Amino acid sequence: MAKYAMAVDLSRCQGCRACMEACKIENNTPQGVFWMYVFRTESGEYPNTKVDFLPRPCQQCNNPPCVKVCPVGARFQRDDGIVLTDYDRCIGCRYCEVACPYGVNYYNWRKPEEAFADYNVDYKDPDIAAATGGLIPPYKNPALDRLQGTEQRLTAGSAHNVGVMEKCTFCVQRVDKGLDPACVDVCPVHALHFGDIEDANSPISQYVNRQTGFKLLEELGTDPSVFYLNGTPPGSDTREIERPLTEVGS
Amino acid sequence: MTADTLPTTDPGSIRRPNEELPQKIGQLSPSWIAFFIAMSVITAVGIYAYLLQINNGLIVTGLRGLGSMAGATWGLYVAYYVYFIGVSFAGITVAALIRIFRIEKLEPVARIGELLTVVSLILGALAIMADLEHPWRAIVNLFQYGRPQSPFFGTFTMVIAGYLFASLVYLYVTSRRDAAILAEHDSRFKGLYRILAAGYTDTREQRRTDRQVTFWLAITILPMLVIAHSTVGFVFGLQTGRPGWFGALQAPGFVVLAGVSGIGNLIMLAAIVRSATRTKGRITLDAFAWLGKLLLGLLITYLYFTAVEILTITYQPGATELNLSEALLEGTYAWIFWGAIVALVAAAALLTWQALTRRWSITVVFATGVLVNIGAVAKRYLIVVPSQTHGQLLPYSTGTYTPNWVEWAIIIGLFALGALMIGAFMKIFPIVPLEETDSP
Repeated sequence: MAKYAMAVDLSRCQGCRACMEACKIENNTPQGVFWMYVFRTESGEYPNTKVDFLPRPCQQCNNPPCVKVCPVGARFQRDDGIVLTDYDRCIGCRYCEVACPYGVNYYNWRKPEEAFADYNVDYKDPDIAAATGGLIPPYKNPALDRLQGTEQRLTAGSAHNVGVMEKCTFCVQRVDKGLDPACVDVCPVHALHFGDIEDANSPISQYVNRQTGFKLLEELGTDPSVFYLNGTPPGSDTREIERPLTEVGS
Repeated sequence: MTADTLPTTDPGSIRRPNEELPQKIGQLSPSWIAFFIAMSVITAVGIYAYLLQINNGLIVTGLRGLGSMAGATWGLYVAYYVYFIGVSFAGITVAALIRIFRIEKLEPVARIGELLTVVSLILGALAIMADLEHPWRAIVNLFQYGRPQSPFFGTFTMVIAGYLFASLVYLYVTSRRDAAILAEHDSRFKGLYRILAAGYTDTREQRRTDRQVTFWLAITILPMLVIAHSTVGFVFGLQTGRPGWFGALQAPGFVVLAGVSGIGNLIMLAAIVRSATRTKGRITLDAFAWLGKLLLGLLITYLYFTAVEILTITYQPGATELNLSEALLEGTYAWIFWGAIVALVAAAALLTWQALTRRWSITVVFATGVLVNIGAVAKRYLIVVPSQTHGQLLPYSTGTYTPNWVEWAIIIGLFALGALMIGAFMKIFPIVPLEETDSP
């Protein structure tokens, strides 16, 4: 059985946030929801400040606090290490969200038809049709509605139904087909790497073993599957430069 | 209630039953009718807010996601769920103490306490249901897939099912004798009393059996109570990922603050019942003095816990704990924190002064009940919210959370529903146990 992991080369990341965009397109996440999120941070005092970037997918912990606290087993970990949410089973208590030290969980506060309100562009409008060349993009990725893996559970994102929790799935619908997650595929500078960490000959194992790195908040005993290479963890004076302006609701 | 038994506002025209029941049962004075109407209206507003939330999703509340959404995902609902479960501490504890240690002075307030326990447990369950988008799915899935590893499991099984069931049995067993006595009277509730009495005969043998049953039930309920309130503490105390939550003091702290808020509520309710049912001769000043001393003991323990906690988060805190303790002690939440401390210390001072001078006043004890409940609500809020908005371990922006009207309407609606339940009980059944001399 493979054990999936991700490696993030911080010396390569330039904070372009293409991974966030790719994630939104692949997983059709609602407004204000970022399964993949890239921190743009600064630290130090002027004039000696430093800017850093820190991509934050779900850390896919091997000792996941979110799985432990789920009262109904909707959050679970597969044998290949991917931590997923069963959207049919989640009761929306949001305990996983408060238990997670990384803040990767996103609750569906709105009904899908309203959550996508700002994306619902009328592509048949003559002005917009002129700009898009008459193309009508698909509303949603059909793969998200399929049951995933040997466990055959609805875990890939579904329709982002109201009142359930969701988070980064390592793009389980792609991984099960042998593809890399969307963020890894799209990264223009190869800062993100994905693969089987238990296979010593896999590219990601070679990549991780050759370089120094850290895992986020490793002291909490969560044992994440995301490795950060060639960089330093955020310190106590690291602060976010700006936060996304897309607010949920008014 | 059928149409011909509906009371009217003019007391003179009420169709009186042949015999008057004690404690004004079945009689609705204009002020009682006003009370029921007011509480029903407030409950209805709460139900309206809840329907709004069910139809639109939790987006209509002030709650938002943690992390990049910079909000608090648990807010008023969870804070009040913890508070209501805490209030349930009072009844059964006092009732059990009476049976185990034979404290006869408290006998008249025992049923008030038992009722308070049952009502507040129901309100706690409703508060947590209000927090869920899919209440039916939650009920079905908890039965079908419940996992004991989750601290929430204890909440649903231990607290809301086991503890509520045990309390209901306790309330029933201790009420049968009164039902048997009242069934002898010719009143409109006669049929109900006969069903409740279920063949109870006030013989020596029966009394002995009942005493034994309640004694052993009390013995079983006491450890259950500690475990139940601890599981609520574990919901927070076992989470390493939230600064301010993780700690061994969380569970005992919850038990003790539950006692403080519960006894405080019992004092307030007992004082109200005392003047509303004309039972001043039954509920004596001694009972309030006893409850006051119990409250003082619990309050001092809780203040000690708070002092230990403040020292721990300020002496040499980690970077994230420092951020949180600054928000609590001198930042966004300082007014709530210091308000709670002032309320609790003032209550402790009032109680200590009365205990030292041995001059107890029901008004002053009532005031301490109000003060400790203000303190308890504030402390519950401070446990739930700041660790989410100011307890991020990654460099997220600081969050904000302000409960909006929907959340307040639902919570105030719950209080009104509780008042309705207690009021209805008072009009159907003697809330102060009948005296030994009232034989059937």
